[in-house]
Amino acid sequence: MTSYDAIVIGSGITGGWAAKELTEKGLRTLVIERGRNVVHRKDYITEHKPNWQFPLRNARLSVGTKGAEDYPIQARTNQFRESNKHFFVNDHKHPYIEEKPFTWIQGDQVGGKSLIWGRQVYRWSDLDFEANLRDGHGVDWPIRYADIAPWYGYVERFIGVSGEKLGLPQLPDGEFQPPMEMNAGEKFVKAGIEQTFPSRHVTIGRVAILTQPLHGRLPCHYCGPCERGCSTGSYFSSQSSTLPAAQATGRLTIVPDSIVHSVLYDASKNRVTGVSVLDTNTKATREYHARVVFVCASALGTARILLNSTSVRFPNGLANSSGVLGHYLMDHHFLVGARGGIEGLLDRYYQGNRPNGIYIPRFRNLGDDASRRDYLRGFGYQGGASRQGWGRGSDERGFGAELKRQLRDPGHWSIGITAFGECLPREDNFAALSDQTDEFGIPVLRIHCTWGDNELAMRKDMAASAAEMLEAAGVKDVRTYDAHREGGLGAEPGLGIHEMGTARMGRDPNTSVLNAYNQAHDVPNLFVTDGACMASSSCVNPSITYMALTARACDYAVGELKRGNL
Amino acid sequence: MSRDSVSRRQALQQVAMLLGGAISAPTLAGALSRGTRPAWATSRQWAPRTLSPAQLELVATIAEHIIPQTDTPGARGAGVHRFVDTLLSDHYPPEERDRFLAGLADVQGKHFLEATPQQQIALLKAMDEAAYPPVRIDSARPPETWFFRRMKEVTLVGYYTSEIGASRELRVNPMGTFLGDIPFPASGGREWS
Repeated sequence: MTSYDAIVIGSGITGGWAAKELTEKGLRTLVIERGRNVVHRKDYITEHKPNWQFPLRNARLSVGTKGAEDYPIQARTNQFRESNKHFFVNDHKHPYIEEKPFTWIQGDQVGGKSLIWGRQVYRWSDLDFEANLRDGHGVDWPIRYADIAPWYGYVERFIGVSGEKLGLPQLPDGEFQPPMEMNAGEKFVKAGIEQTFPSRHVTIGRVAILTQPLHGRLPCHYCGPCERGCSTGSYFSSQSSTLPAAQATGRLTIVPDSIVHSVLYDASKNRVTGVSVLDTNTKATREYHARVVFVCASALGTARILLNSTSVRFPNGLANSSGVLGHYLMDHHFLVGARGGIEGLLDRYYQGNRPNGIYIPRFRNLGDDASRRDYLRGFGYQGGASRQGWGRGSDERGFGAELKRQLRDPGHWSIGITAFGECLPREDNFAALSDQTDEFGIPVLRIHCTWGDNELAMRKDMAASAAEMLEAAGVKDVRTYDAHREGGLGAEPGLGIHEMGTARMGRDPNTSVLNAYNQAHDVPNLFVTDGACMASSSCVNPSITYMALTARACDYAVGELKRGNL
Repeated sequence: MSRDSVSRRQALQQVAMLLGGAISAPTLAGALSRGTRPAWATSRQWAPRTLSPAQLELVATIAEHIIPQTDTPGARGAGVHRFVDTLLSDHYPPEERDRFLAGLADVQGKHFLEATPQQQIALLKAMDEAAYPPVRIDSARPPETWFFRRMKEVTLVGYYTSEIGASRELRVNPMGTFLGDIPFPASGGREWS
């Protein structure tokens, strides 16, 4: 069959949500995924495998080492290991051009990066939705918190989020399952920071990991490495949650191993009519047709597809009459912060591998006396405390039976916090089609993205404030760090894996691609609901906002279909 | 075919299923053909691929001095030397591998394997003290001590990520629940591997 009610391009976090919402609302839906199929449970081939069963003992495969030959880009993230490399792309088959250092982490498979995501979920607030309007960077968001708040709740009730309510205006509470517990080191630091800085808060991370059963999924069993896949479905992924729900309607079809070459457009009706697809195994072309198309191929994947979908009406890319498609690329800048040691508490320990850390919500530029003159917007911290393990032995003098005896005991407590900062939307950060093509004849992206003066000024405060808080809490030997190297690798854009903004929402069709419902201004039956749609970046992890926007857009699209407007 | 080998075949196929079919048919056939071997994991004859027999013995000897047998097996018993050969063969870039081999050659140049255990320990103690000066200089550690620091590191990694090191010397952190803040005896406990 080649004709459907709806086509969804991509099966990751937003593609899975679009599939669920559209099928549950009665649409026969085709999900097209360029990567291979990954079957829940069966294909989690390293789940619960102890380190000694890996030839390299689950080594971090860094750039230049054997085992990382096919992953010169993917190996830049410290998430990339012997145990999960099969969920990252072979870079030789997924080329792009870095005009400036930009790390594009890709997980092309059914489920996309939902299998390996960080699972931290934080609602945006009006501090974020009003930011562009307030300081003039980027275009004004066409929505406010009140528009998306019910959809955050809708998403949280389905995916399951554990966390603590704080009552903070800049970080709205959600509908939470019970929070995970802090350890003794984290409680110590929390008490010290909150005593010295009454307006700052240390809380456990809000995560899309269950602490109670939900919809047939089991609570977390604390094995630790979620990114190998979870057979109990304890963390949210397309496999554990949205795709089964879509499948249950009987209206879902998924075709993996299929690259979307372009979206088909009929100028006489000003509607998209479907997609042109290449089979990754045979390179044969196929077409599929539908009444509505949702592009959920990731911020850069989506930009590439739309830029490659040209016509007389849209010579510079589909729905790109504004010319902003591909521009205003953003990511969170991070890998800057501080760490140190905690004295004492040697009679306290923990059991189980908690796949979560602590969070310090944004406290800068909230419109009060904490406002800074040297940069706009703000940042939050993620981190955690632990007792040092046996690895400390290779950093100290000594060997033999005495060393072995010492390493039986856990070491001293240490704590580290890393800032995640907002990135301003700038036109000169962009992805465009190059004159090179991949093995399928599709032009590859050239990406030009740098941190600007605002990000670099913010980083100074991100390091200094981290050290200031840890020292105030009584942490010893506090050292700041900043991995950013101007013009080089270390904390380059993309490494945050929160790339977004290439097809932004806005009020004005002349300066944005999408309207308030993620609908293309230019083409009514074309929707983009992944990270491409973002008009600004906030400083919090973005995925739950993508999910809420997707569910909201699906509701609107189905309504418009029924009203005969698409 | 005996009952035993039938159940072994079933067990192997279950393992293959759990691994998503990752065990190829030839591997499965190879494992099944050696019916006398006690466990499928040991069904393949192991041989070093980078280290010579003498180098392998040198690595095993140094590693055993770093983590010796006590009430639990030491580095040799945990097969750290095999792990090091795997690292050198399958993980290290050529320059790093050659640097490590050069470090081994330096040690053997002092006739390490022919020395008594006491002499070996004395030599390692001198290397350890040179590698970790009392005043810690983070930015630059003496480059000539690179080999000893790396040898110590791979010994600890190889030992504490082995089944023996992780589950007999230390304890495997159990899955099931998370207890964030529990008492720990000041001595006599074991950390999680």
